[in-house]
Parts: sequence; C-alpha cells; structure tokens
Amino acid sequence: MFSVFEILRDNWLLLLIGQYPSGPLGGIVATLILSVLGIVLAFPLSVLLALARLSPWRLLRWPATALVYVVRGVPLLIVILWVYFLVPILIGRDVSGFTTMLCTLVIYEGAFLSEVVRAGIQALPKGQTEAARALGNSHLGTMWSVILPQALYNMLPSMLSQFISTIKETTLGYVINVQELTFAANQINNQLLTKPFQVFFILAMIYYVVCFSLTQLAHWFERRIARKRLGTATAQLPVDGESLPPPMTTSP
Amino acid sequence: MKDFDLMAILLNPKFGAMLLHGVEMTLKIAAASWLLAMALAIILLVVRLTSNRIAESVVAAYISYHRNVPTLVQLMFWYFGIFSLLPNLLQNWLSEHNAEAILSIVALGLCQAAYFSEDMRSGLRSISSGQAEAAHALGHSYISSMRHILLPQAIRNAIPALVNHSVSLFKNSSLAMAIGVAELTYAVMEVQNQSFRAFEAYSVATVLYLGFSLLIMTAGGWLARHYRIVGAR
Amino acid sequence: MTSHANPAGRPPPIVDDAMILFSHINKWYGDYQALTDVNAEVKKGEVVVVCGPSGSGKSTLIRTVNRLEEIKSGQLLFDGHDVHAPMSSLALNKLRSRIGFVFQSFNLFPHLSVLENVMLSPMRVLGVRRSDAKAKATQLLERVGLANKAGAYPAQLSGGQQQRVAIARALAMEPPAMLFDEPTSALDPEMVGEVLSVMRSLANEGMTMMCVTHEMNFAREVADRVWFMDAGEILEKADPKAFFNRPEHPRAQRFLSDLRAH
Repeated sequence: MFSVFEILRDNWLLLLIGQYPSGPLGGIVATLILSVLGIVLAFPLSVLLALARLSPWRLLRWPATALVYVVRGVPLLIVILWVYFLVPILIGRDVSGFTTMLCTLVIYEGAFLSEVVRAGIQALPKGQTEAARALGNSHLGTMWSVILPQALYNMLPSMLSQFISTIKETTLGYVINVQELTFAANQINNQLLTKPFQVFFILAMIYYVVCFSLTQLAHWFERRIARKRLGTATAQLPVDGESLPPPMTTSP
Repeated sequence: MKDFDLMAILLNPKFGAMLLHGVEMTLKIAAASWLLAMALAIILLVVRLTSNRIAESVVAAYISYHRNVPTLVQLMFWYFGIFSLLPNLLQNWLSEHNAEAILSIVALGLCQAAYFSEDMRSGLRSISSGQAEAAHALGHSYISSMRHILLPQAIRNAIPALVNHSVSLFKNSSLAMAIGVAELTYAVMEVQNQSFRAFEAYSVATVLYLGFSLLIMTAGGWLARHYRIVGAR
Repeated sequence: MTSHANPAGRPPPIVDDAMILFSHINKWYGDYQALTDVNAEVKKGEVVVVCGPSGSGKSTLIRTVNRLEEIKSGQLLFDGHDVHAPMSSLALNKLRSRIGFVFQSFNLFPHLSVLENVMLSPMRVLGVRRSDAKAKATQLLERVGLANKAGAYPAQLSGGQQQRVAIARALAMEPPAMLFDEPTSALDPEMVGEVLSVMRSLANEGMTMMCVTHEMNFAREVADRVWFMDAGEILEKADPKAFFNRPEHPRAQRFLSDLRAH
C-alpha cells in the first residue's frame, strides 16, 4: 500500500493536467473544465426545455417532452455514440473527443436539468403565477420576472447535485479517448502494470474527495436556503404519478 | 438519410445474432445486479436499524463511497484493482467463468445497493411517528410492528424512488462494455464497425434501451398503483 | 430506567379496587418540571376526566400510564402491575396490550382496511384465530356504528369515523381500562358528538376510563370525577357537579371562566 504515495509522487502531474504541454490538456483539470463547461452550457438549454415542456403550445411541448424522455431513457454511452456519429456530419468536419464529450454532456445534462427546473417551477405556489397574470403580465413575462428567479434560487442545491453528476459522467470520456482523469489513470496503469489496485484506489479517492466536498457544499446551500425561506415551502421535487417520474439526480 | 436500411442489420444473421446476444447479456447483468442490490440494501437497512453507532458509520461510509465515486471507476476498481488482489485459484476460476460479467454484476450491484438502501430508509422515515406509537400502545413487539405496520408502509412510500433507481441500474449495465462485456452497447458498436451502418445500429440500440426503460417504469407504475395506500393523496 | 423512590415511612397505598394508581409521580427534563408529585387513583369502573390549560401536563400524565412517556420517580400501578419497573420488552408489550389507548390523531394504519385495522393486533399480539378476530372486529364495528365501512380504508373516512374505528381497535384487545388522549381535539365540531356518544356508551357499560379532554359537557354528564391540572400538578380533584359550579382552586376558577367566555 505504501506504493500509493510513490505512484502519486511520480505521476501527480499526469493526473493533474494529463500530457500537457506535449499533448492536449488532461487529468483532473480537464475533467473539471469539461464538467463546468458542460453544466454551464447545459443550463440555458435546460431552461428552454423546461419552459417548452410547460408551454401551452403543443408544437413546443411534444418535441421537448419526447427529447427529454429519449435522452433520459437511454444510457449515456448511447448518447455519446450518437453525438460522435452525428456532429461531424452536421458540422462537416471531424471533431475531437473533447468536443464530442462536451456536446454529449450539454445534451444529457440539459435534459436532466430541465426536469429539475421544471420541478422547481411547479413547486412554486400557484398564487405567484396567478398574482402576476392578474396584474396583466403575459405568460412569458411572468416566467421571466417572477417565476424563474425564485425557482432557480430554490433549485440551486439540486443544480449543484447535477454538477456533481456531471463530474461523474465525464469518466465515460475514457471510452472515446478523451484525455480526462480516468484516461490518465489507465495510462499510468498500463505503464506500471504491477500495481493496478493502488492506481485505481488513487483514482477512486480523487473522485471521492472532489464529489464529497461538493456534496457537503450542496448540503450547506440547502440549509442556507431553507433558513432564508423560512415560512415559504422549500422546493420539493413533486411526485409525478402520470407524467415523468421524479428527476434523477444520480447518473452513471 | 439515404439508403437507411434497417433490415440489413436486423435480418442479417450475423448482426442479428450479435444484437440478440447483446440484449441477452444486458438483461442478465441487469437482473443479477438488481437482485444483488436489493438483497444488500435490505441488509444495510437492517444494520442501520440496530442503532449501533459503529454499524451506522460503516453503512454511512459505504453509501458515501458508492455515491461519490463514478460507477465506471468502481467497475474498473473491481476488474483491474480488486481482481489482482484475489488468490490465484479464484482468479483462474473467474477467468474461466466470464470474469468481466461477474465482476460487473458485483460492482453494479454494490453500487446500486447504496441508492436502494437510501430510498428504503427515506420510505421508513416518511412514516408519521404516531404509527409507531399506536403499534406500541397496542402491544406489538418491535418485530411485529416492523413487519405488519411500518415496513409495509415504508415500501409503498419507497416504490417511486426504487423504480427510478432500477431504471438507472438498467442503463448502467452499458458501462460493462468498458471492461469488455459483450452486452448491447458493445454489440451495437461491433455491428457498426462491421457494417458501417451507424444510424441503423444506433437506432436499434436506442429503441431497445428506451423500450426496456419504459417497460420498467410502467411496471413500477403498476406496482405503485397496486400497492398504493387507498384514498391517500 | 426509572427508579421508584417510595419515601421512607409512608404506608403503602391501598390498591384494592384501584385500576390506575399514581404515587408521587415526578417527571422532569433538565430544569423543566413536567409532572410534580402526582398522587391519584382511578378506581375500577370509574370515569375520570382530566382537564386544564394547554401545557399543563395532562397528555404527559396519561401517556405515562402505558409508558409512552417515562417517569423520573414515583410508582405507577396499572391493575396491580408496576408499569415503570425494569422489565423485558416482552413483558412491557404484554402489559401495554391490556391498556386501551386512543390518540388525538387517531393513528389508524393507512395500508390496512378498517376491518383489518381492528383485527390485526388481536391476531398478532394476542394470538387470536383469524375467524375469531374477524367476528369480534365486525361486532365492534357495529358497536361504534361503522359496520358498513369494514372494507373501506382510513383515508376514505371522515375524522369522526376514523376515531370511532380507533376506539374499536383499542376495544378489540379487551382491555380492563381505556385511556383517551384528547380524542376529539383534532375533529371538526360536527363530528365531535359521534365520538363522544361512543365514549358515553362505554362509560355506561362500566368501562374504567381516563380521559384528557376539553369537552366540558361530556365531563359534566359522564365523569365520576374531574381532575384539574396546571403546570404539571393536579390542583383539584372533585365531583363534576361541584367542580363546574364552584371550583375551589383559584386557577381552576380562572380556567373555567376563560372557557365560559367563549
């Protein structure tokens, strides 16, 4: 087990930033960049999807619902395969693994996040919408100035949870040779060959520390929001009987 | 899409067979890990209920590990890491009996057990305290009140979350391809490699996965309705 | 575990026909004294109503009888058994099965039908045969006027109906005494009457009853004795007529005049 420290000492740079500068940026830095970009770009998409699903117009509602159902019903790997295949065709040239993974994460997380946003919007008391409409605001105007600001603030802990899920999802980049942390660990293992337990132990622990810390942050946030909103119902994910089951904040 | 030819894949004996075997393997892995996960989750719950501090911390650590480490990494840890530590006899036996599949089942089962056990615990905690009091006031023992009054309600409360996580488990079976298990995703990639018909191959996979996911959710919905608490909101 | 401090030199209480005997009962949490030196008894066949302002400890007191609340010192005898003595959970369960308890929030088991609610505990706790339990349950449901709801589920019933089922459920265990912890406080006014009339008929049959309630008419008409509690102490024990016409303790006087002011 002592070799754990040796391995860390010898390979920390690879785990941190991959083969940069003699290769693309990798390691945990790449993982985090991929996750942050993924969730940040997924966010506007998720809001649009959520609004589309709640929209009174069928032409918007049905395709949005279908997209969310499909993306949530298939494994992430299948979405990766589709993106890997379709994006070069749509753009007209080859794309790197990193870009493929980023697009996949945006679509995948966009769908999951849209459920979180939708739950947040529906959790607000109806009185908010009623008051806004009674004052003469349009459907979209109400959404923009009254509903979304409140819903999004209440949903911050859930969104943080989705961010943590995104970090875990980046590991699938390994399958398409994206130079993130899991890929780096496998490189180390292929070099050393004799200490697989130690290498993968290190890998597991790095992810554990990162995700656990972020989970604690999310809990702190939840408590803080609960304190600030004492008296108002905190956004609970509603149990949808007939429509989609409650959004999953876990993922592969 | 020009010359989209689904039948070239489905009717072709070689590709059709590969896909069929892939589906079979996916279902086997998903079913086996689901059973393992459920059994382990119940054990974890029972351990938690003993209110022993050490037992609780052990279970909490277990759940924390399996929820914060990515599932793919857990799979790799089992297949590359723990496998290498096993005694030679066990390693040889495993290698002869599809080690990849067995270790996938173990990894996936252990991982989902953490989620299932949390779902069951939430189900138990959502029961009002008056229920336990009424049970005690009538003279029920701990076991009797658990068996006849508390657990039946806990399970009913936990069904939606359990169904959700069961769908997750099913989708996670695709991760086994990363360690070489010939399940559906692996089969689809092979078919695409050999036939160059990516669109058709991926469509088949999408439809199959979606179909099974919807099947699980529908079965879950039926279960929830059948065992619902009559008259409750 | 509780200690039973029987002050030295005091003669033992007369237990002849006392169903429930409170002897120097004390309960405190930290600095807060919930029950202070409670001495009282409920005789066989008696109906005792405990009243008083909120926070007076009435619910705490009644919950010590079947040990849903622990005591710090004193002795509590139910039908001759020391409720708070150290005992195995088996023994405690057996004792509890003989003490009928009706909760303010009914606490019916939502996953079971009305009939199953009443049948369950005789079968599982007392070992009664299913057919016998079913017959008894049906008879009790008729008794409380809900025979036609045997197949319904608690959530489909009104509050008054649920409470009547709860009474039947407690009676199914054939207890020698029944405890009622504010049985009508959670009910809409129009349903209070149906529950009180079941309790009244129980009293007329000679059931030993201890009721915590705000229903003063019920107390006046049905109770054999009224105990007035405030701040964890029983301040007055009196005959109902005497109590309601001319309470002795000043706090009791204030309590009754506050009630009448409604």
